Amino acid sequence: MKLYQVVIKDIMRRKKRVLYASLGVVVGITTIIAALTIALSGQANIYGQLEKYGANLMVMPAISDVNVGLGGLNLGTLAVGENYIPEDKLPEVRQITDGKIRAAWNIKDEEPIATIAPKLYMSTKVNGTSVIVVGVDPKEEWQLKTWWKVSQGKYLDAADEALVGATAAELMGFNIGDKITLNGEDVTVAGILEDTGSNDDYQVFVPMETAQQAFDKLGLVSSIDIRALCSACPTTEIAAAINGNITGVRAVAVKQIAETEMGMQEKVSKFLIGLAAITLAVGCFGVVNTMTASVHERIKDIGIMKAVGASRNQVMKIFFYEGIIIGVAGGLLGYVAGTLLAYIVGPLIFGGVAVTYVPQYFLPSLALATLIAVIASVYPAFRASKIRVADSFRSL
Amino acid sequence: MLEINNISKAYGEGTAKVFALNNVSLRVNEGDFIAVMGPSGSGKSTLLNIIGGLDHTSSGEVILDGERIDNLDENALVDIRRGRIAYVFQQYHLIPSLTALENVLLPLTFCGTDNKDQKALGILKRVGLEKRAEHKPSQLSGGEQQRVAIARALVNDPSLILADEPTGNMDRKTGKEILALFDQLNKEGRSIVMVTHDPEIAGYAKEVVVLQDGQIADKINQEGGNRC
Repeated sequence: MKLYQVVIKDIMRRKKRVLYASLGVVVGITTIIAALTIALSGQANIYGQLEKYGANLMVMPAISDVNVGLGGLNLGTLAVGENYIPEDKLPEVRQITDGKIRAAWNIKDEEPIATIAPKLYMSTKVNGTSVIVVGVDPKEEWQLKTWWKVSQGKYLDAADEALVGATAAELMGFNIGDKITLNGEDVTVAGILEDTGSNDDYQVFVPMETAQQAFDKLGLVSSIDIRALCSACPTTEIAAAINGNITGVRAVAVKQIAETEMGMQEKVSKFLIGLAAITLAVGCFGVVNTMTASVHERIKDIGIMKAVGASRNQVMKIFFYEGIIIGVAGGLLGYVAGTLLAYIVGPLIFGGVAVTYVPQYFLPSLALATLIAVIASVYPAFRASKIRVADSFRSL
Repeated sequence: MLEINNISKAYGEGTAKVFALNNVSLRVNEGDFIAVMGPSGSGKSTLLNIIGGLDHTSSGEVILDGERIDNLDENALVDIRRGRIAYVFQQYHLIPSLTALENVLLPLTFCGTDNKDQKALGILKRVGLEKRAEHKPSQLSGGEQQRVAIARALVNDPSLILADEPTGNMDRKTGKEILALFDQLNKEGRSIVMVTHDPEIAGYAKEVVVLQDGQIADKINQEGGNRC
């Protein structure tokens, strides 16, 4: 029989006490794992978005919101400015964008480089249901939305065709070949998109001219999406150049938005991790407390062990082994509870971010929990080792 | 083999000072069986604890095999407890989470020798408990628990066994069986110092030391005497 076996047998008899002792570690590890898992998921989410949209910019009409009110009373905001961008600004946008990319990569070729996809958004009713109709340049849009897949039928081709998002098709019962009337203009459903998880699922796409004609917006677009050649392209510079040279529009690079969001998330994550560290420290004191109580409870057993030949070191080892078991149990429970907590709380903190468990955190959480529990065992173990046999029997 | 010279043990300070032992001297020779008798509070248990290094003296010296042990530190005392002196207590003092066999193995575990199950089983057989080896203390009677405690004391093959009222919690018949065991151990050549307040039990001993108010009041040699 080895010393650790003696400890394990004793712990099996006091399972509840040991579980109670590990509670401090469990709470600490739970908060740490939850904080780290949430932080990592938030970050992964932004990186994912950046990878997908990192090369993108968006050009919108320059609309300013003006606060209106009487005296100090705010009555809301008023949008001031044009709601549309004239189509004739497109060549200018292309010239600036391609110019910047050429300058950055030293490209001599005069072919168009960037994908420039204008859009016209219109709200209308089809068969009595509200739907957003989007006029697009079919060729450019297909290049922009590399993740688009047509699940039924084919992609937009002719002027009287429509492409329907997955959810819209389902909700309104569209099938390939169905005729839809958009504000008096008839189009045929040519294709249905696969689920994308974005707003596209709820929209109906038609060629730009068809939309402009149907809604009487000839020569106008709502916004322009730009996809530069690469994620490393100078999208921020392009945005600045567009803002500086074209009046009546506002250009934003996705990278800028992501960076701002990343900074916010980092701050929240740091706060969470700091909070978790404090919880862990408090939990450590909890372990010291329960372990000291356990030493007191077992004064007699310690006396017996010393009377039959246990040295001071062996008595300390007994409590360190117990600390290790408490730590491993605490780390295990803490990892599971922390991951569950992250799944629940993560989407609440970072607005619907999908949390995934992080297996790489499992071993470190065991190690950290064990370290904390062993540190917490030092004082109780020392106390136990100082117990004198005669005193332990007298206290009965 | 063991000699205690002018031992005193006091509790408290100044006027509240109480002597549990006052200037006691005693010799334990190889093969001795000494019974320490006396009323409650006469200092019997304190004397036994001091002999075994479980308690400290206020003055005087304890010499085991020519070496002073009353001033040894905890680490040095461990060596004495691992094989030279063993204890048997009135309350048995078994570890409740361990089986009879594991309780007997415990001193070997602390010595760092494992895989001695056969040896421990042999000793359990000797005290008549081989069939109870896998039972926990709570599943054993008082007499059986004390047998386990004696087996535990024997596993390191000590030359001196200290027993503090080993039959104090038992009925007369069981007590006699336990005493017969001690008698046998003594005949093997082990020295025994046993605390008791029962004159009949003291009758098993070769020498009876009577303590009163922390002092030796009488020493009776009953070598070859009444052994019922």
